[in-house]
Amino acid sequence: MKESRKKLSRREFLRSAAVFTTAMVATACTTPTPEIIKEREEVPIEVTRVVEVEGERVVEVEQVVVTATAEPAPPKEQAPAVLGTFPRSETFIARILTGRVGSPDNFNFWVGWKWNDRGLQNLAAEPFWTVDFATGDIINGLADGDPTYNADFTECTVPLRKGVAWSDGEPFTAADVVYTVEALKEYSGFNAHSFFVDNVDEVTAVDDYTVKFELTKPNSRFHTTFLDRWGCTRIMPKHIFEKEEDPVQFPFNPFVGCGPYKLHSFDPQGSWTAWERREDWDKSPTGIMYGMPKPKYVIYQYFADEGAQILAQLTHQLDVAELSADGLKALLAQSKTSRAYQPTFPYVVNNDPCITGIRFNTARPPFDNVDVRWALVLAIDIVEYTSIAVDSSGTLSAVHVPHLGPYPRDYIRPMQDWLKSFTIDVGNGETFAPYDPTAPQRVADYARSRGYIFPDTPEFIEQAFGLGWYKYAPEIAEKLLLKNGFSKNADGKWLLPDGKPWKISFMSGTVLSNHDARNAAAAVQQWKKFGIDAEMYATEHGDGLQATGDYDVSGGWPAQEPWGAGPDLYRVLDLWNSAYIRPVGERTQGHYSRWSSDEMDAIIKELRETDPFDTEAVIAVGTEGLKEAVRNMPGIPTYGYIGFVGWDEYYWTNWPGSENPYTQPYTHWPNFKYTTPFLQPTGM
Amino acid sequence: MTFVKRYLIPRLIQYVLVIWLGITIVFLIPRITPNDPVMRMIGELRGRGSTLEPGSMDGIIRDLTEMYGLEGSWLDQYWAFWGRLFRGDFGVSFFQFPTRVNKLIATAMPWTLGLLLTTTAITWTLGNIIGGLAGYYSRRSWSRVLDAVAMVVRPLPYYIFAFMLLLIFAYVVRWFPITGGAPLGAIPTFTWAYIRSVLWHSTLPAASLMILGGAVTFQTMKLLVQNINAENFVQYAKLGGVKESRIVGKYIIRNALLPQITGLALSFGQIFSGALITEIVYGYPGLGMLLYRAIINGDYNLIMGITIFSIVGITTAILFVDLTYPLFDPRVRYI
Repeated sequence: MKESRKKLSRREFLRSAAVFTTAMVATACTTPTPEIIKEREEVPIEVTRVVEVEGERVVEVEQVVVTATAEPAPPKEQAPAVLGTFPRSETFIARILTGRVGSPDNFNFWVGWKWNDRGLQNLAAEPFWTVDFATGDIINGLADGDPTYNADFTECTVPLRKGVAWSDGEPFTAADVVYTVEALKEYSGFNAHSFFVDNVDEVTAVDDYTVKFELTKPNSRFHTTFLDRWGCTRIMPKHIFEKEEDPVQFPFNPFVGCGPYKLHSFDPQGSWTAWERREDWDKSPTGIMYGMPKPKYVIYQYFADEGAQILAQLTHQLDVAELSADGLKALLAQSKTSRAYQPTFPYVVNNDPCITGIRFNTARPPFDNVDVRWALVLAIDIVEYTSIAVDSSGTLSAVHVPHLGPYPRDYIRPMQDWLKSFTIDVGNGETFAPYDPTAPQRVADYARSRGYIFPDTPEFIEQAFGLGWYKYAPEIAEKLLLKNGFSKNADGKWLLPDGKPWKISFMSGTVLSNHDARNAAAAVQQWKKFGIDAEMYATEHGDGLQATGDYDVSGGWPAQEPWGAGPDLYRVLDLWNSAYIRPVGERTQGHYSRWSSDEMDAIIKELRETDPFDTEAVIAVGTEGLKEAVRNMPGIPTYGYIGFVGWDEYYWTNWPGSENPYTQPYTHWPNFKYTTPFLQPTGM
Repeated sequence: MTFVKRYLIPRLIQYVLVIWLGITIVFLIPRITPNDPVMRMIGELRGRGSTLEPGSMDGIIRDLTEMYGLEGSWLDQYWAFWGRLFRGDFGVSFFQFPTRVNKLIATAMPWTLGLLLTTTAITWTLGNIIGGLAGYYSRRSWSRVLDAVAMVVRPLPYYIFAFMLLLIFAYVVRWFPITGGAPLGAIPTFTWAYIRSVLWHSTLPAASLMILGGAVTFQTMKLLVQNINAENFVQYAKLGGVKESRIVGKYIIRNALLPQITGLALSFGQIFSGALITEIVYGYPGLGMLLYRAIINGDYNLIMGITIFSIVGITTAILFVDLTYPLFDPRVRYI
């Protein structure tokens, strides 16, 4: 039987193709119209947070009212119930920060780099202690309290938590700790091998839940090797590793840890790693402290492209997106269910324990001259600077620690009087007080003048913009340079003391949305305006070039990042120790600024000899360290690190936002496992 | 025998020399950049918060140098490299230590070959056929429409075009997935369900490569055919009453294909470098991102492993074209 078929003429075909193409373009052009909500309203919300009652952590639920952008409209469409092979409503999806996993079937994170943020550190592993920079607390994980040292800091004893089991059901005991330290000492392939060889003479189990380290030399901060701040020495399950002939080559697949999640599956291409809540989650420190994690599955997925992240969240296939400033704006404008860390401007996550800024190579003239460094500080108008760098959304800090966690209370507020009275010698008997406590208000006023709406209370201004920074004083900067033999040519450009044009090459990485490049762009603009021939130099090899001293100025951390919790600044100050400095051309072991001073060495020595748990003494010494850094300005602290996080409230709510910062807000930090019991499913 | 003596043997010697020279240059280049893999790993670990006490840094550098096999002079490393290469072993990846380079390449290669072999072959075939016809029938309206479409598509930056496809087909109409080579939770198996899901995930990456690549092939072929069509020998054939199909197939297309065949061979050779931007936009697995990361991290062994495929691939493709050219162009003779 001959089938009757209508023939499509060429004209009809072309006409149909044209109509189809037009329809596709028209459809693409009719995506939801960007809707930037500027109205604020008082929104009652229920928050769950952790409070300490008589030393115990207790979870409490409270009704609070927050100022927020208008409540997101109800979702207009139903998302798929199953994503891949996972029930979507029981699954939490976040992004792998550090990219596609290169060795997806190897979980031995004591050797090299194993993409620990794919769920290893943040779900499945448990350290002794973890810093929580949102609360300023140190959370006990496998440890049952603080360590204790003997008088000369040559012995350190750690109490361990009882009732913890590995995810394969074996109990966690001191034997695991002893095995770990002995294995790290024995095999040179482990990252921490040299540290433990250098520092630990012997480790013993006093009993099943107490471990004692006998140290090779006094070290009052030895315990911090077990303090998780996006990485630390973690404990191996002895019953698994002791069976391996070569634990360095052992891939440790499947991963076994003491965290509340166990390995479910992974993509051999490294695109995703899936974790499943343990049936015995109550035998993990997370479960013991905070209760059952709410998501049954957590998936860490790789997104190479920011656009793909945004599209994934708009279609509810990604619960947490980490974006650029523009990416976050686009997401919030398009999404009806996404929210940022802060409900109003500046929206961004502004509590991250890193201070961004400008790093000088003090081994290279003229940056070896403190007057030159201060001149470059005073040539910066911080209002313009933060506008260029981060659209006025950074929290300023005039000292070398960020304005978050315990630091405003312990250091920045108490140092205000000193900062106000601090002067620099401009020459000819003239001094100048560079500190400007009105800088945050000036940044806030500028942001408001650009149409941003946010609360006007002193508390909010401090939280969002900090307590102060330095004056814009180009005339003083000029005096400092003239004092040191610099001069200006007929074009108003600065010349070095030898008469050659002063050029500054500002090194940054190649990802222009990162804060090193943001600081570079802002500083270069400001210094050009001041008459210096400054330029940005983006390279992929920044770490090696800075480590060997082959650079002028960079956007690297102006000081080592602090712990983010507790008052101790040893981590910040010790990297300026002169003992670590190596000649230019060799990799320095200390801070890449290669700066040190006898005064700072003395402060570091005093801090080493101070009990880290003697809060008052630690703060006193730490304050002196910060003052010495301000006087010498080896790097310019500008604004605290900010993150551009978008949370989708379609499936999960009760995020640790600025109105409810019960814990740190990132999914790649080790503390994310402590967030999981507080996430609330929406029942979608 | 004359062919063997006067052409084949010298050409094969040249082939081996080019490969040796290429590999030697790739061995040297990463080592003269300021990107030291040991320092890079220390920087990475330090940046990621691992326990690297400043006081223990000398020991860490010593341990890593030993572990990566970077002790000794460059010459020692060079001999050791050739020794491993002749055993078919590229050594361990520094950045993904202790995973072997062979394993990393074997994992990524099927994705790259699957995507790029297919798209290159389809693009070349369709582009040439349609371009050839459009060139011969260049006055027809459909030829002009196709040419106009190619004119619009071809100058588009690949990233923009690929993302536009993603936006339309993954977000607006939601026919295809946003990212990845396979669904979340899917474990690779040789089943129809898995293969189908991989094809579904590959559709947009493949389409982006084929449309832009096809536009280039189409336009090149069209212009070649138009030029040849105006040649005297074609006009003479037409006047001589040779059948049109014979003129198109034997006189025009065959001549126009010669440069296209060289282009195809080079395209196949370059496949081993991967398709980096495609992999970034679509989160697609493959060699491109593996190579990019290896370069960034100074992962010498991995760089060598991937680029050797590329060097051998391109060199072999050119050799193959050189040797088979007489089959396509009778004017070429090696004796």
